[in-house]
Amino acid sequence: MPTEDDRDERLARLVDHVVELASGNLAARLAPSAASDRIDAVVVGINMLAEELEWLSHDLGARVAERTRQLELAHRQLERLALYDPLTGLANRTLLADRIARAVTRAERGATPPAVLLLDLDGFKSVNDSYGHAAGDRLLVEMAQRLRAVVRDEDTVARLGGDEFAVVLCHATDDQALEVADRIMAALTKPVTVGDATCWVRASIGVRLADRGQPPDTLLRDADTAMYAAKASGGGGVQLYRPAMHTAVLSRVRVAEELRTALADAQLALHYQPIVDLGTGRPVGAEALVRWQHPIRGLLGPQEFIAVAEDAGLMVELGRWVLETAIAQLARWRTRGAVAADFTMHVNVSPLEFRSPRFAATVLGCLARHGVAASDVLLEVTESHLMGEDPQTLHAMESLRAAGVGLAIDDFGTGYSSIGYLRRLVVDTVKIDRSLVTGLDADPQQQRITAAILGVVAAFGLTCVAEGVETLADAERIAALGCPYGQGSRWGDPEPAEVIEGRWSARLT
Amino acid sequence: MLDPGDDLTLRVDGDGIVRLTWRSALRIDSALAERAMSLVDDLNGTTERPLLVDMTGTAQLTREARMVFGRRCSASRIALVGRSEVDRVIANFFLSVGRVPVPTRFFTSESAAIDWLGGPGAD
Repeated sequence: MPTEDDRDERLARLVDHVVELASGNLAARLAPSAASDRIDAVVVGINMLAEELEWLSHDLGARVAERTRQLELAHRQLERLALYDPLTGLANRTLLADRIARAVTRAERGATPPAVLLLDLDGFKSVNDSYGHAAGDRLLVEMAQRLRAVVRDEDTVARLGGDEFAVVLCHATDDQALEVADRIMAALTKPVTVGDATCWVRASIGVRLADRGQPPDTLLRDADTAMYAAKASGGGGVQLYRPAMHTAVLSRVRVAEELRTALADAQLALHYQPIVDLGTGRPVGAEALVRWQHPIRGLLGPQEFIAVAEDAGLMVELGRWVLETAIAQLARWRTRGAVAADFTMHVNVSPLEFRSPRFAATVLGCLARHGVAASDVLLEVTESHLMGEDPQTLHAMESLRAAGVGLAIDDFGTGYSSIGYLRRLVVDTVKIDRSLVTGLDADPQQQRITAAILGVVAAFGLTCVAEGVETLADAERIAALGCPYGQGSRWGDPEPAEVIEGRWSARLT
Repeated sequence: MLDPGDDLTLRVDGDGIVRLTWRSALRIDSALAERAMSLVDDLNGTTERPLLVDMTGTAQLTREARMVFGRRCSASRIALVGRSEVDRVIANFFLSVGRVPVPTRFFTSESAAIDWLGGPGAD
């Protein structure tokens, strides 16, 4: 039987035990005595409470650790989203800007300055149009991998959106930067397999070598300017930025502004070049060609401003003006009996116009307004512009053909058409490029090629017009090869309506 | 059938109550708890029976063992029988802090326990 002293001692030990627990040592336990009395009941109860607390504390710790881990993971993922392109895993514009800024700062402290390369893929749009966006995405992923493989680990590759990429070489000499550009070209021009198709793209690359003291956005902007210059000179090349390029860009902006004014102020005019029957010399049509009577620079041809018009989004408006003016002119010629019943007006159409909404309806509306028959008009599109199988374009072409409007492939023989492609198109006329027409006399090989092409065109039941006919010899040669119609300086350069009408009257009298 | 060993005895009495008696001064951990549960289930088979657990003099019931006892088994009701204050503390920890799957009560009198197990409200 426990004595009073025993109980006091046991209670004292119990107090010590509680203090021990309170100090944080939740693993402490006190052994109960064999008496199993009330003091033992308290001891056992405290032991069980301590055990419970110990467990809860451990469990809480584990939950906090797990939650922290999840938060850190989520943070990393958000960071990823904020700084990286989700499709390719490359850096995005934000991260790119940061990397350029860091490299510029390092350069200010004496390190070798960085170089910025900007590139975009020529022909990417065709891949998207022909094979779909999933294929386009796979192509972009492949390109991203190739780019990463070409640069050093410390350099940054970024995707700026669409088919535009940037590379920051965090420190590079001029030679190193150009060498990387060349390696990129080589890597990107290898064919890409997308599904069961093989595609080729080219890149236009702009290179901006940094000098110390250049702000980061200037580097990117200048690389962009250089890339633009690379595209403008035909695409598929490397251009080093030069300050003069910047001026050229500014000038494009100015031209675009002036063109807007030109459209509003009737500074544009159409000149017409006749198309003749090679057998009889009779005019059977005319091609309408736009000219710009610039207040300062004089008469400008389309090569001076069409590209600017396309980039500035003015093409649809410009095209509409050309169509309206040409059809109105034809209506006047018909009323005056200046042209024969089978005369057709040829109008050049940009692929941008074909892709614009309700293009077919616009054309047919214009014809109706001027009382001109659909078959009196023929729309010409350049072969190289038709490379993609854009559904909107094909639909517009089919609608127009169904209504009776003629469609022609212009500059035929300069692009990469396959015969299968020709079959799918809804054109009825082919205009043979001048390169296949001139010098036929001198070159038997050229004759065979041209004859073969004419044969293909005829096999498809299409009509043919030879462009760029300059001499009588050319005319006779091409006629002998079976081409029925011709156009070129042989029968007159493009001239204003009154002038050409004068010539026709003179011919008849 | 598992051998109960020295730690507990197990039988079904004349009233159909399962009698589980723990050895005195035992530290019941999760392994022992699992063994006891399996033995009771093996004994009962597909029948559910009331269970009387004599836990007099148990030295310790670990947290893990309490978690094990919180699982459903073939006992329809459980009466815990003990005598000392220590027994009462341990039993009530089980009843209050853990989860009990079937009606469970602590008694200091075996006859009261038997009445409750077989009385009205019992299955």
